[in-house]
Amino acid sequence: MPYLRDLRESRELLGNLVARELKGQYRRTVFGQLWSLLNPVATMLIYTIVFSVFLGAQPPRGDPSGLDVFALWLMAGLLPWLFVARVVNGCIEVLIGNESLIKKVYFPRAHLPLSVLLSVGVTWLIEMVVLGVALSLAGAFVVPWLPLTLVVMVLLGIFAVGLGMLAAIANAHFRDTQHLVAIALQMWFYLTPIVYPLDVVANATRSDPWAMTIFQLNPMEHFVAVFRDLMYASRWPDSVDLIWCVCSALVVGMFGFVVFTRSERRLAEIL
Amino acid sequence: MSTPAVVVDQVWKRFRLYRERNQSLKSAVLRGRRSVIDREFWAVQDVSFEVARGETLGIVGRNGSGKSTLLKTLARILTPERGTIRMNGRVAALLEVGSGFHPELTGRENIFLNGSILGMKRRDIRARFDEIVDFADVGPFLDQPVKNYSSGMYVRLGFAVAVHVRPDILLIDEVLAVGDAEFQERSRAKFRELTGDGRTVIIVSHALGQVRDLCSRSLWLDGGELRQVGPTRQVLAAYEADLTHL
Repeated sequence: MPYLRDLRESRELLGNLVARELKGQYRRTVFGQLWSLLNPVATMLIYTIVFSVFLGAQPPRGDPSGLDVFALWLMAGLLPWLFVARVVNGCIEVLIGNESLIKKVYFPRAHLPLSVLLSVGVTWLIEMVVLGVALSLAGAFVVPWLPLTLVVMVLLGIFAVGLGMLAAIANAHFRDTQHLVAIALQMWFYLTPIVYPLDVVANATRSDPWAMTIFQLNPMEHFVAVFRDLMYASRWPDSVDLIWCVCSALVVGMFGFVVFTRSERRLAEIL
Repeated sequence: MSTPAVVVDQVWKRFRLYRERNQSLKSAVLRGRRSVIDREFWAVQDVSFEVARGETLGIVGRNGSGKSTLLKTLARILTPERGTIRMNGRVAALLEVGSGFHPELTGRENIFLNGSILGMKRRDIRARFDEIVDFADVGPFLDQPVKNYSSGMYVRLGFAVAVHVRPDILLIDEVLAVGDAEFQERSRAKFRELTGDGRTVIIVSHALGQVRDLCSRSLWLDGGELRQVGPTRQVLAAYEADLTHL
């Protein structure tokens, strides 16, 4: 594909766009990149206090890690979620924010969402390292599962950028998209078992098993389950979950890429 | 003079002028799928020409004659509705100075960012870095964020990067030459240097003196149509006659 060759030949541009994002973001702040860690920590505190302390949510005991810490269980699911949400929002903003560039210079436009993916990915990687250290200190054996965790992180990245590309193109046509996406992401967050365990849903839907089936059509449910198995419970994830991760990443990633590259020739006109 | 550097074959570019563009979902739903297209407007109509390797071509015409649209189509920023464009070689378009400058990054960092946006490799930028800095003449501000630059310095830095991109085919919009009189003189000299050394250049310009000075051949666009293409002297004479005629 000539487009892929274009992309590869201009990979230095991608590197520079990522550096621009990363360097520009925390310029002239005292704590710099630390801010990107403070944000999830604050979110963790809020959810832990509300759901664990006030509402008494019980995380399932990690098997075989033996962990029983709500905050760590929460973060193993929350960090992947936050990554997806930031990539999707970032992709929408990156086209709008670089409108003048798109109208004045030709370059493969896919570099813009890809630069979002990579710059957000760097932040996520740092967060995951911190979580891994915290889990190890608490007694989980994270290290043997690192390679597979990295693979699933790449899959989630493909999934996220596919969604981001779709959202960005939709938003170039209809500026309503960004508001719609904000609401959709919020609903999606609570429909994914991140702040509550899946058992809660299983118990509530015991009389109608089809409800549970529909609930599990959500690819993020499977991604969260895999990350919790790998990191919190330190075990080989459920194979159904893994298959879901691979398939949804490939389908959404390819679909997003195809839609994006087909529409990008018109971007200078529709923005 | 084997294959030409640029072959433009029957290119048409249309813009749609919307009275009510479906920019919001609500209006799209209420009005049905189709936007109300007020009228279609062909900004470039059936334009064909060739540019030989090493030649400098000037594009002239009144405001709104489609010059910039044609240049943007050549630069792949816009896609033609019909026709084909073949570019034999690496292309760079200079339509704006400082494309993609990030205000919080320093001049030095922005040289690398902007250079790669314009298609330069990192090692090319390194090799020409001193030249770029000399030309930009921003002195001690090189390591300051560009948001602290005066507008003149900002433009000089952007221009300096732009003219140091060394593609096979260079597309230039004349509005690039801005700044004070001294800098304009220097940028004119730079243009002369760029067009002189065997590179293929296409310049859109209103400054007929400059076109006469730089371009061996010229192309006159009128209302999106090609009126004449040929030796600059001949084309400009016809164009000027047409201008005074009205």
